[in-house]
Amino acid sequence: MKNVGQREPNVIPGFGITLGFTTFFLSAIVLLPLSALVLKTAGLDWSRFLEVIASPRALASYRLSFGASLVAACVNMVFGFALAWTLVRYEFPGRKLVDAIIDMPFALPTAVSGIALTTIFAGNGWIGQYLEPAGIHVAYTPLGITVALTLIGMPFVVRTVQPALQEVQRDLEDAAETLGAGRFYIFRRIIVPTVLPALLTGFTLAFARAVGEYGSVIFIAGNKYMETEITPLLIIFRLEEYDYAGAAALGFVMLSISFVMLLAINLLQVWGRKRLMVSR
Amino acid sequence: MSIALDQVTKRYQDQPVVNDVSIEVGEGEFFVLLGPSGSGKSTLLRAIAGLTGIDHGRISLHGRDVTHVRARDRGVGLVFQNYALFRHMTVADNIEFALRVRRMKAADRRERRKELLKLVALEGMDERLPGQLSGGQQQRVAVARALAHKPQVLLLDEPFGALDAKIREELRRTIRAVQRELGITTVLVTHDQEEAFALADTIGVMNHGRLLEVGQPHDLYAQPATRFVATFLGAANLLLARQTSDGIRFGATPVDAEGAEPLQAGREHEVVAVLRPEEVEIASNRDDLRSNYIARASVEEIVFTGALERLRVRLLDEPSAAQLLGSSSEGDARLEITRTQHDRRGLPLAQGAQIAIGARRLHVLPTPLSSFLACGATEVDAAALAREPLLESLSTRMKTRVGLRAIDGLTGTPKPFAGVAAIAAGPDAAPTVEWLLRHGAAEVLVLPRNAPSPTRVFIHWTDEIARRATLAVAASLLRHVSAEAVYLGIVPESRPGSGRPAPMRALLDARSEAQQTHGLEMRTELAIGETVTELTRNLSTGSAQMLVLGITDITQASSAYRSLLAAQPGWPVLIVYRPTEARAAPDLVAPGTAA
Repeated sequence: MKNVGQREPNVIPGFGITLGFTTFFLSAIVLLPLSALVLKTAGLDWSRFLEVIASPRALASYRLSFGASLVAACVNMVFGFALAWTLVRYEFPGRKLVDAIIDMPFALPTAVSGIALTTIFAGNGWIGQYLEPAGIHVAYTPLGITVALTLIGMPFVVRTVQPALQEVQRDLEDAAETLGAGRFYIFRRIIVPTVLPALLTGFTLAFARAVGEYGSVIFIAGNKYMETEITPLLIIFRLEEYDYAGAAALGFVMLSISFVMLLAINLLQVWGRKRLMVSR
Repeated sequence: MSIALDQVTKRYQDQPVVNDVSIEVGEGEFFVLLGPSGSGKSTLLRAIAGLTGIDHGRISLHGRDVTHVRARDRGVGLVFQNYALFRHMTVADNIEFALRVRRMKAADRRERRKELLKLVALEGMDERLPGQLSGGQQQRVAVARALAHKPQVLLLDEPFGALDAKIREELRRTIRAVQRELGITTVLVTHDQEEAFALADTIGVMNHGRLLEVGQPHDLYAQPATRFVATFLGAANLLLARQTSDGIRFGATPVDAEGAEPLQAGREHEVVAVLRPEEVEIASNRDDLRSNYIARASVEEIVFTGALERLRVRLLDEPSAAQLLGSSSEGDARLEITRTQHDRRGLPLAQGAQIAIGARRLHVLPTPLSSFLACGATEVDAAALAREPLLESLSTRMKTRVGLRAIDGLTGTPKPFAGVAAIAAGPDAAPTVEWLLRHGAAEVLVLPRNAPSPTRVFIHWTDEIARRATLAVAASLLRHVSAEAVYLGIVPESRPGSGRPAPMRALLDARSEAQQTHGLEMRTELAIGETVTELTRNLSTGSAQMLVLGITDITQASSAYRSLLAAQPGWPVLIVYRPTEARAAPDLVAPGTAA
């Protein structure tokens, strides 16, 4: 039995070592902190747990956090697509510059963008001074939070949609055109479905980023009781009260909701990809 | 006419990619556009579909001018090399796309879809996604999709390019059958001559953005007019021969050849003959040949290719033998021969064997540009001239040779000149041209140093007698450079205004003769003024321009046109000389222009 213990050599060597590393890395960086979170939460008894996570203040913060993130991600999906479209399809002076500016929110410390936005949208700010008289209050309202979350989520959509748009073959549009389709029809029936998986990925990333965002929101939110408090802020409050278990409980709720939503979007994508990619 | 293109030109950044192409495709005809990559054939197809705008010319489909009609309103079906199927839609949705756009009822759509799937032999595949089909099946779907809206014209852009040989042949048969059954006018673009032969009613061969020749497959193969078509459609050996008063000769050996025109005005000249590999006869010695003897040769390479045996032989130097034009560099002139297994059994050959070869069938190309002869004061000067980029690229593209000749002092009686004599531009150019013309050269190319490949070629002749020859030379030249041709008619200022219609008519005559006799599409311009001034002015308008000048009087070259031949600013001038005595030859005077 010579062959015992001999494995078929893999084309790419180092499978064992990479899998080991992946497992270790994932455990240390992602799973371990998360389990700690769950464990900490488990330290609470059931009624206390419910009291923490279902308090009216907490419920209001969930609504705000997830609602604003969802709105921001939707806005980004539309405008990020438009931005990516412009960058891919047109040649114009300064295109490279615009392309570089897209990445700025990645690099900027979130607190800086938060302060900048607040300054601009406050009642005496550059834009705020025109909006306030019109009755549109941005700073210190849920709208401001949405604006901040839109800003930090925008590059995720642009950067995922851009390569997908580049890959849409011109031939597809040409084919549709010779078959009698107009520009809008081609856009709706050919281009959007083709880049939809990428668009969903961008949406997911932007949404996930927005849910976890803290730095930029804190400044523009104003943090009014029950009104502009996001969940991460409540967690900070708990921590300042040395209520680690309460903080963990809120974190656990955020984690669960995010996980369910991301999983749903991912499943949607897998289903979409199956339709597109079979034996490509 | 189902499809009519009239002088269609498309430029990218000033470089013409489709250059003055006129085509007519009849109802139900299968037309194949054949050409190497970059020849402009796909651009032309896209222009017909309406996906690419054109800079000049007209396109009409079934009598309707569609030059400015959008692609979606042209009623064409287009099939792409990479299928371009909508991957997120099922086969059914793909095929029904054009019908859905037209808001056809679901029941009618389904009926039409079933019909089309049956046509391309894909019944039952309705609910598959393109990703679940093989390449051949995907292309069938693409064909069905392109036919769904009952287009009047079907356009196929290299539809078999991405498929392997077996499936390619199967699909080819399907497309031919579908085309026959529907009787739909079809244009297919390909670089594969075998595909063109298998499918086409008519083939149009393109190169450098120009449509070189149009004809039925067999005619194009047997009687090509240009060396490009001769060598692109199947393999061809090109030989240099001399046309004399008693026929075509290789050295001293007379041969029969098709396509040879009667000798013009008693002037012997060099011609290019096409010898197909399968028309070469092999015998162990000269007396055993049943056809015309060409040369002795030694076998260099034998390749077995199944049905045929392919030989490459080197011609052994013999003064009486044929001169072979190498397909690449001059040192690599080898004759290609193919023979059947039956012939091989009759005379088995090994490498190094000495044989006599003969030509069963020779075809003489009507091109007046056979080869180049670089002339300089010394051999070194001549060699330097032969390395000029323009001359090098011309000879490469024309698959011809550049000979060298020292013509020091312009004295004595030189050996007869063959082909186009090339000299350097400069103060000595004019007397040299005169001397060359006096000693038998018929075409002289005057080259300034480092002249770029021209993008525009002006054509002018001083006397209507030189018209035909000048047009023939210009047409031959323009097949090998991607430049636009402009005939420049020049009317002296002193001429009274009432005389204007005559030059206008000469202009139109020139254009139609260029088109009909030489297959050359050219623009015409009329200038008023003194000839040399006007020529100089026009040549100065751009950087890469060239002049083809027809003259009938030798002294004109050295006197009137001296300034055109200067080294600075410098442009290539190709002088075509036809002496006035040729007036007697009836075939030189085209009807309706003698007056």
